[in-house]
Amino acid sequence: MQRAVERRGIPTVSPTVARDVTEHAKPPRAVFLPFLMGHLFGVPHHVALQRRIIMECLGRVTDAPESGDIHTLPISWSTARREGIEIERGLGLRG
Amino acid sequence: MTESSSEVEARQLRPGLWATVNERYPGSMITKSDLVPLAPLRKPLSECRVTFISTSGVQPKGTLPFDTVHPVGDYTFRRVPSDSRIEDLEIHQLKYPTAGADRDLNVIFPIERLRELVADGVIGGLTENFYTFIGYNMDPERLESTLAEDIAAAVSAEGADIALAAPA
Repeated sequence: MQRAVERRGIPTVSPTVARDVTEHAKPPRAVFLPFLMGHLFGVPHHVALQRRIIMECLGRVTDAPESGDIHTLPISWSTARREGIEIERGLGLRG
Repeated sequence: MTESSSEVEARQLRPGLWATVNERYPGSMITKSDLVPLAPLRKPLSECRVTFISTSGVQPKGTLPFDTVHPVGDYTFRRVPSDSRIEDLEIHQLKYPTAGADRDLNVIFPIERLRELVADGVIGGLTENFYTFIGYNMDPERLESTLAEDIAAAVSAEGADIALAAPA
């Protein structure tokens, strides 16, 4: 998919939670996040993390040195979850 | 957020998983040996129109649900207007946990975050539509020759300058 879009002159970038699959598929630019599937942009209601992941991805459009680049974000799933729980408590969404 | 990248990878990667899947379902996993040349960004980010392409199976309520139980997959796509309200969208897929998306769709389909980036002037705008399909497709060659080309043509026609492409 990314390769078809890139061939039309539109830069692509992909967050991924499956580094092995991405290494095989070789999209032009990827950002690896060690998160649970279905949570590419983080955890519920963690607006800052969701936005950060998008911005990190968009930054790779100009910063990726070569095609096939996979950039790893040093964010752990446990940290993301812990922060998300605190945020949801602050919003009154969980006890 | 203090772990190093190598520490994260050592703990989170799943060595051998890809080979196992392809052994059981030959040809089902995409393998490429070549790299596509990088297309250059032609304008500042603040002037770029961004599109979002997703395997999340997110679609507007009332559109034909993706066929999540077809044995070889569903090679169609849906257009999701980028000004959609989250309550007007629903998910049809079986291949990823929706525990997070059920609480906040932005974890898989960050439509509100992307609109905020436009409002803040970080990006120039969004394409009229985002594009979705489902990740369960057992024939990568068919996906590449049909669905990928269909979506690539659509986002090109909408004047996208950058595509954020998210495999769920």
